[in-house]
Amino acid sequence: MADEAIAGHYQVLEELGRGSFGVVYKGIEKATGEVVAIKHIDLESTDDDIQDIQAEISVLSTCASSYVTQYKASFLRGSKLWIVMEYLGGGSCLDLLKPEPCSFNEPHIAIICRELLRGLEYLHAEGKIHRDIKAANVLLSESGKVKLADFGVAAQLTNIKSQRNTFVGTPFWMAPEVIQQAGYDFKADIWSLGITALEMANGEPPHANLHPMKALFHIPKNPPPRLEGNFSKDFKDFITQCLSKNPERRPSAKELLRHRFIKSSGKIEALQELIERRRTYDATKTKKRSRPFYQETLQDFSPRSEEDEWVFDTVRSVVPRKATVKSRKPSSIFSTEEALRRMDLKDGPLQPSSPAAPTMRKSTVLRQPSGAQMSGNRSTRDPPAPALRRPLQPDMSFGNSGSSQRLFRRVPSDGSNSGRPSSPSPFDDVVDENKHPSAVEVTSKEAILGRRLYSKALDPALAELHAQTSSMAKREALAKLSDAFAALDAVDPEGAYHLFRNLNSTIAQDSKLSNAFLHNQGSVKEPVELEKPQGTVIIKSSNPPPSNLPPSPTKFVLAANNPHLKSHRRRQSAALANGGAASPEKAEKAALQAKYPGRAAQPGMEHCKQLSDVLYSRWVDGLRLRWPGA
Amino acid sequence: MAFLFGRGRTRTNTIDLSKQAKDHVLRLDGPGGLAKAEELAKVLNQMKLALQGMPEYESTPEQVYLLVTGLIEEDLLFLLAQNLHRLPFEARKDTQVIFSYVLRFRLPTASPKTDPVALSYVVNNRPEVLLELCRGYEHKESATPAGTVLREVLKSEAAAAIILYDDGEQPGSSLKGVTAIDRERPQTGNGVFWRFFDWIDKSSFEVAADAFTTFRELLTKHKELVPRYLAVNFELFFEKYNSILVQSNSYVTKRQSIKLLGEILLDRSNYNVMTAYVDRGEHLKICMNLLRSDRKMVQYEGFHVFKVFVANPHKSIAVQKILLMNRDKLLNFLSHFLEDRTDDEQFIDEREFLIKQIKNMPPNPIPPSRQPQAV
Repeated sequence: MADEAIAGHYQVLEELGRGSFGVVYKGIEKATGEVVAIKHIDLESTDDDIQDIQAEISVLSTCASSYVTQYKASFLRGSKLWIVMEYLGGGSCLDLLKPEPCSFNEPHIAIICRELLRGLEYLHAEGKIHRDIKAANVLLSESGKVKLADFGVAAQLTNIKSQRNTFVGTPFWMAPEVIQQAGYDFKADIWSLGITALEMANGEPPHANLHPMKALFHIPKNPPPRLEGNFSKDFKDFITQCLSKNPERRPSAKELLRHRFIKSSGKIEALQELIERRRTYDATKTKKRSRPFYQETLQDFSPRSEEDEWVFDTVRSVVPRKATVKSRKPSSIFSTEEALRRMDLKDGPLQPSSPAAPTMRKSTVLRQPSGAQMSGNRSTRDPPAPALRRPLQPDMSFGNSGSSQRLFRRVPSDGSNSGRPSSPSPFDDVVDENKHPSAVEVTSKEAILGRRLYSKALDPALAELHAQTSSMAKREALAKLSDAFAALDAVDPEGAYHLFRNLNSTIAQDSKLSNAFLHNQGSVKEPVELEKPQGTVIIKSSNPPPSNLPPSPTKFVLAANNPHLKSHRRRQSAALANGGAASPEKAEKAALQAKYPGRAAQPGMEHCKQLSDVLYSRWVDGLRLRWPGA
Repeated sequence: MAFLFGRGRTRTNTIDLSKQAKDHVLRLDGPGGLAKAEELAKVLNQMKLALQGMPEYESTPEQVYLLVTGLIEEDLLFLLAQNLHRLPFEARKDTQVIFSYVLRFRLPTASPKTDPVALSYVVNNRPEVLLELCRGYEHKESATPAGTVLREVLKSEAAAAIILYDDGEQPGSSLKGVTAIDRERPQTGNGVFWRFFDWIDKSSFEVAADAFTTFRELLTKHKELVPRYLAVNFELFFEKYNSILVQSNSYVTKRQSIKLLGEILLDRSNYNVMTAYVDRGEHLKICMNLLRSDRKMVQYEGFHVFKVFVANPHKSIAVQKILLMNRDKLLNFLSHFLEDRTDDEQFIDEREFLIKQIKNMPPNPIPPSRQPQAV
């Protein structure tokens, strides 16, 4: 394809950040040497209509303004969409807010607001609404140029005068009319700009201490936030004007450009101070964060044997030979599930039948044997990955705190692991294109599960939590945790698996904890429970707010961030917002159960079930109508 | 007639705008074409403002009407559509706005049921305007603006018919206007509609995705026009659809086209097309191979086509044979198929339904009780 060739025009470097949409890498356009930002979106992991993504691209590609991050190209590579954008080396305003005192001074804010207003003036004249203005979406170039970024939710109005009704944005920055879904226009961006100015002055937006879902009810109910403290009258008035609750009385971007606060603002070069401040801050950090480099994921599909294929040859006997059926390998999508089930059964004996924690502590078997087996096995197959530690060196990366109490029993549950043939294993199929480039090849089932746990549950959960947290200190702490897990995943996915398995069984023993985290699993029946597959619970327990979903031992309940839940969530969060408006208590409860943008509360689930039942019976009815003979 | 664009600007006559624009367009090729393009951009921007109005200046229906007739007289719609990709960046967006306004414009006295003035002119007298807009997909620059205009215009059945039935100089081609179309004559496959298959399959992602959106609009909007078209051109259409789109190397094209195929087949108005489609063993084979695709979402979309074959109570002998030949495989396969979609109740129910259907099939093919209606 033509698209495949374009990908070769870019050299992809280190990761810049990641979010629910995918990963952003720094890259270089080979022909020009220009540095670019490349966003990778894995379309395979989304049920959403690709048309939505295309809509974003068409909004981006029709923008040409020095106040908006410049779109360069987009193309497909396999099931991944690459979107190439201008690279802005100064980072986002949110990044720049991190160093002490976690705020900008007034002259800096004035400059940023002026540049943002120019960006908004351009967008609004083009009939576009950004809908997600916040410090995190304001990028700076190294020279101090300010640009609007992230058009993931931008809308294009075909008619300038028309209004939108969709519920999008980030709660703290949302205008009241957007929350109330009363129909809104480009004035919603002006409100968000006002909140962003407050964010830059105070380090966080108003209501940041609240749960985002709770903030949704405060914003329309309360009087608009004001700028307090030692700021000029002009600045305070600017904020007041931006934050008029009545959008009609809110000035347009054009009008605000004539405001005294804006007119007296200085040159953009002054913003370099902020970038310098951040650099000093980064330099003083003892641990320099190492961002993983991009690695091509090679998908290796095991060649299918002929017996795998459907039989279309009409000459053959109608009854297929039995062997044909038996030899069929599990297809890529459920091989992991298959492994999970098998493993849980065989793994049973490994589980302590008496309370787990003491057993663990007493056990003296080092994990070394398993490591040695694994690596020995590996060395005969592939050259070791560059970042790999020497195969037989005792690997103490997990639990190397020196305490003998932390020694875990780590033997492979299944002896067949080490004797795996060198032909492509079915697990090679499961390579997730989105996961961290891995340093260690996973060979044991525990490791595969651990890796899956990380890529499907831990990492997305952490990323989401991070995105929702606005307090600087908390964000830092979360980022550290995330890095630590990434490191663990790269070196010892098995460790991650055991960590959560043990965590899980310890939780199960404490009645309070188990009530809070493991639903319907009273401590009384835990010996029995522990024999059952634990995958569900492991993954759920990694999500801090407990979900209300009943754990089903046979089904693999997906992590909250699993793409397949997305469509559900969209509906549910809409339902949540509607229902919530009626009763704040209910909404609060829902908010606790649901991480924004909204894990389903149980009533929501029922609703969806009913809905799909109706849809299904309608489909069946349709069939009956068409084929009355059936 | 003359009016002001804001304070202090030059007076510009509405009709002059069209004349000026035409002069500039015709000189894009000559020496100084670049300068002409810039001048043209200015004129187009004025034209857009005249149509759209500005916050401090509302446009009146009279002015818009004058502009519309001016555009028609100078044949500017055709010229702009033809040269869209050569216009500067902002001018392309302005042109898109101009087209949208002009093709939507009705006199305030006209009934809302009648076609807008310019649109009715185009479908009766100048179908080439629409064909040129489609050919906007030949170029990356013009794909988005042309596509945006097309999708708006395609709300009109007449406009959709022009694109579907374009067949060059053939008798009954839409080139002679919408009333000259012969809907019973099979298409040769050389018309502009058939170019969409290549635009979708061969273009870069941006162009392909836009072309596909238009293509989908064209095939799903009009519930009388399209079923008849598909019935007459059944062989040609599905041959191309299956070989080019469903088997495309592009993940997006493949996935979207399988989804659209499902939508087309399950649309009530396409009943006859559907029964004819699911009668073919060849079609079932393609579909069963999709179930085994490397990509989960392709498998998933393929499932929604496959279910139509299985749910059909009047399965043809060919279809029954294939299903029976693979019965055990299918039952085993389906019982594990996309197991991690545990939240998709409808999918799970449908999968169970299919398993039951396949299980209950008689061991030997039996002739269907009802022959499919001829298409």
